[in-house]
Amino acid sequence: MIRHFVPASLEEALRIINKNNCYIMSGGTDLMVQKHVSTGLLPNFDRSVLYVMGLKELDYIKNESDGSVSIGATTRFVDIEKSELVPEIYKKVIREIASPNIRNMATMTGNIANASPAGDSIVPLVLNDAYVVLSSLNGERKVPVKDFVLGVRKTDRKNEEIITKIVLLPQNLKYFYRKVGSRKAESITKVSFLGAYRIENNIIKDFRVAFGSVSIKVVRNLEVENKYKNIKASELNIDEVIKDYSPLVTPITDQRSNKEYRHKVAMNLLRKFLEEIKGGQNE
Amino acid sequence: MLPKYNTSVKKVDNEEKMSGMAIFTGDIRMDDALFAIPVRSTISYGKILKINVPGLPKGYYFVSAKDIVKENVCNIIASDWPVFADKETHYKGETIGLIVGPDKKIAIDLATMVHAEYEEYEPVYEMKNSYVHKEFNKGNPGLFKNATKVFSESFETGYQEQIYLEPQGMLMWLEDKKIVIKASMQCPFYIKNAVVRTLGCKPEKVRVIQPAVGGAFGGKEHYPSLMAAQLATAIVKIKKPIKMIFDRKEDITFTTKRHPSKTEISAYMDKNDNIIGVKIHVGIDGGAYVGCSMVVLARALIACTNTYTFDNVAVTGDAYCTNKVPSAAFRGFGSPQSIYAMEMFINHLADFLHVKPLELRNKYLVKTGDITSTNGIFRDKIILKELMDKAMEMSDYKRKLEEYSKPGSYRGIGMSTFLHGCGFTGSGESTIINAQLRIKKDKNGIVTFYTSQVDFGQGNKTTLKRIVVDTLGIPEDHVIYDAPDTDETLSTGPTAASRTIIIVGGLAAKAAQHLKEIWKDGEEQEIVEPYVGPSYIKWDDDTMQGDAYPGYAWGVNIVEVSVDPITYEVTIEHCWSTYDVGHAIDERILIGQADGGLAQALGWAYLEKEVMENGVFKQKTLSDYVIPTMVDLPQMETAIIDNPFPYGAFGAKGAGELTFAGGAPAFCLAVEQAINRKIHKIPATPEYIMELIENGD
Amino acid sequence: MEIKFKLNGVETCVDVNPSMRLLDVIRDICHLTGTKEGCGEGECGACTVLVNDEPYNSCLTPIININNKEVITIEGFRETKAYRVIADAFAEMGGSQCGFCTPGMILASYAVLKKNPHPTEEEIRIALSGNLCRCTGYQAIVNAVLLASEKGIKL
Repeated sequence: MIRHFVPASLEEALRIINKNNCYIMSGGTDLMVQKHVSTGLLPNFDRSVLYVMGLKELDYIKNESDGSVSIGATTRFVDIEKSELVPEIYKKVIREIASPNIRNMATMTGNIANASPAGDSIVPLVLNDAYVVLSSLNGERKVPVKDFVLGVRKTDRKNEEIITKIVLLPQNLKYFYRKVGSRKAESITKVSFLGAYRIENNIIKDFRVAFGSVSIKVVRNLEVENKYKNIKASELNIDEVIKDYSPLVTPITDQRSNKEYRHKVAMNLLRKFLEEIKGGQNE
Repeated sequence: MLPKYNTSVKKVDNEEKMSGMAIFTGDIRMDDALFAIPVRSTISYGKILKINVPGLPKGYYFVSAKDIVKENVCNIIASDWPVFADKETHYKGETIGLIVGPDKKIAIDLATMVHAEYEEYEPVYEMKNSYVHKEFNKGNPGLFKNATKVFSESFETGYQEQIYLEPQGMLMWLEDKKIVIKASMQCPFYIKNAVVRTLGCKPEKVRVIQPAVGGAFGGKEHYPSLMAAQLATAIVKIKKPIKMIFDRKEDITFTTKRHPSKTEISAYMDKNDNIIGVKIHVGIDGGAYVGCSMVVLARALIACTNTYTFDNVAVTGDAYCTNKVPSAAFRGFGSPQSIYAMEMFINHLADFLHVKPLELRNKYLVKTGDITSTNGIFRDKIILKELMDKAMEMSDYKRKLEEYSKPGSYRGIGMSTFLHGCGFTGSGESTIINAQLRIKKDKNGIVTFYTSQVDFGQGNKTTLKRIVVDTLGIPEDHVIYDAPDTDETLSTGPTAASRTIIIVGGLAAKAAQHLKEIWKDGEEQEIVEPYVGPSYIKWDDDTMQGDAYPGYAWGVNIVEVSVDPITYEVTIEHCWSTYDVGHAIDERILIGQADGGLAQALGWAYLEKEVMENGVFKQKTLSDYVIPTMVDLPQMETAIIDNPFPYGAFGAKGAGELTFAGGAPAFCLAVEQAINRKIHKIPATPEYIMELIENGD
Repeated sequence: MEIKFKLNGVETCVDVNPSMRLLDVIRDICHLTGTKEGCGEGECGACTVLVNDEPYNSCLTPIININNKEVITIEGFRETKAYRVIADAFAEMGGSQCGFCTPGMILASYAVLKKNPHPTEEEIRIALSGNLCRCTGYQAIVNAVLLASEKGIKL
């Protein structure tokens, strides 16, 4: 039987989900579309639903003693956008997600859990080694966002777990972000690119690259990144980097774009980013 | 600086629409209405062998071709579209029946359980089987053989979905043995006639009343007739109120769209590079049924030389039968497709001849008294040069054109000129439509007049009323003008073809003038004013010869863009427009048409991609079929130059469709300059622009 | 289950499935039809309502998510002074044609002005990018918000 649970506390939610395989509904902006049937009819759920948006204890953004920032699971994009604790790169990405109305409703946790290849907020989370905390009656588990999203609508969440927070780690990086969508606002991403680096004394100390919407999950490759760390910025071989990433970017053709375009634009953005690194960044 | 509209009056429906009090079809409360859910064919082409209907609970019905009362024909011009697919189905999604019942969820579930058995035939998706062919000549195309140079190109345009914000919907019930219909519509009498025809009933047994309508753009010109014929069949069987309101996905997937097109043009030049003439073929994809495609084709062909006069012209055209959702009306009705092609062509031809495009355009630009492509005459004063000069001045066109031609600027500016023939083609207004307008006055001097014109946003409710008020010279609140109800009004024709102001407005002014002339205080008076067209209009529909339209409206668009060389995305930086619509009765309403038409045209030009694959549209939702948002469109500036037209009300011509005609070519010409490549198809998506930049044109 | 919220200032309680769309509650249960459905998937903004003064797409809001919150639809908003200023500006600039997007557009415009009383044209366009209009080409709506800003919505 399909049941609808509205817990009064996290503890109650954990007890419910321990016994019931549930969809977890936060802002609803993905699930309500996916399960929509027709005007005037209830959404069509094939499993029970746990509604968490009322859990005020999960609505927070705070600094932790280790310098990290935790974002509770029911915190909406609009609140993250406004927060002084959240690094600018996340806000930049969020400002291009959907529309202002949707950002008033949707949560970042929901964006991760929805595990869409076009989920924009996943890209900076993966690039910045952010992790989620999953809670169950058995305790907590930390999983890097990079490992949490397994594929299209597939995550590492176990049936009895709830994502309770996202943890952002402090970074000292320069970013280059571009989202390319079907139009200038309210668009679903065709390809997105986020690059980051840190140069000290003309040496590339940190080098990171992530692509969104070009594979079943965000593309990030530590092996390639490590290859370009601790070299002189001026010696960065742009064509070589592009050659390394080219086979890792494996987009598809769908109703929104085609694989040739997605691949080409991904490589163009990568090139632009690499030129920026080379172009006399000094510190 | 915000605009000031000194010539405008308050729109009569402003307050109800802003306050949410306007009642649209879906807002009408009728708790006992049954839901009608279409059952659609799942194959593109084939014989329907059997329809297996599940056991239906009490109160649920399956309505299909078996229930047709008189004729299984939907009254849409060609009358080849059946109300319900019967022996054969010709496109995926064709209605083979309706499940009707009180619970929407149950009805939807039952509809998915209806299972038809088919014998499949090989479907045709390409434009190869013509079902309407037309051709005509001007001058002597035989001279083409003397040409020393020939330049040929072809251009393609894609589907476009209307995306009226309110999806299609209809409510039907019985009242005093009459069928009463409220629906989101453009043409009350089209709906009425469709019901009368399929039921074979007397016209007085059908009444159509217009509620508020949330946009139409041609999309509600014909499709509601099909819905009405289906629901009427159901209501005869079931005798209970029924409603059918589409969700957006159903609307995008199964209702009519703008015809995709392919236009081939050849220009023949003599040894001095003078154009001897042009040969043009326009092909449009009509889908599974002709419907109105022959008229769309006619309009596309008549407009194909656009704003240019060539002495010798050979025009041919075909509407092709494909196993796809039928194409039908959409703002411009075929002419934007051929105008797009000619505007691109004339610019490309200039490059071919090594002359400046503006020079070539000016050389062949139509002038008053020129012969039209169909051997009619451009009788009225043409001020196209003034429109161009004004638009170029507003946009600083010449300087920018020069500046952006430097390689690597990735900026461009493009200009289009265009025309729109207002009213029905040829003598259609006096031979087919025969509009009659009823106006009456009561003892207290309160005047009421009736039209079948629907205001779906264009503002005609305000403008038509104003025409009568100003003609009579009485206070506004002494004139009553309500939305159409076919029991009250005679047919003043459909709300289509940019005919509302030029034709019905003219008729209203005339009726009001007559009433004024015979006005007697304290008496009830009534006049029925018939439409009489200008006597000079002569048109032969078979040969496509003569004066195609009572009058022409003119325009110029200039679009400035920048292109991102990394992502191939285009940013529209600014748009400028100038129009000659005769006389603009209400400037604010006119600017609304100008901005809105251009916005839709720009969407068609680069954003709105609708692709058919195996008979199914790939973009089915508003997140996949994207229309411009507020940040996709730039500032728009428009100037209107007064040039009163002798036969329209207060000098007005049409405006609604005109404003759609020039956006796509102006946009594409700007992009061409920015990327230094030639464009031959729209939508010019970033994917296509990448191909052009990478591979050349 | 019972869900309580304030609708246009009136304490309201509905006993429905928590997944029911706020839009359906407003239209079918409360019989307020000024809130429109244009797409049912959060793209068009015709269903915009204010929840605690922030614009929401009511077509994607499960009713449980507004438990104990305050919802204002066009029927409530039209009683305010701010409505008068915005509606007059829309009328003056020609911001409403077919009217189907208009109630949502007006509520979204109010939300823009409340957050930023003197927005630039660009800020208006970004803030209203989730509300589609197919009639106006948007310039008239942008002009209307600028005019309303000039007049001041007197909060």
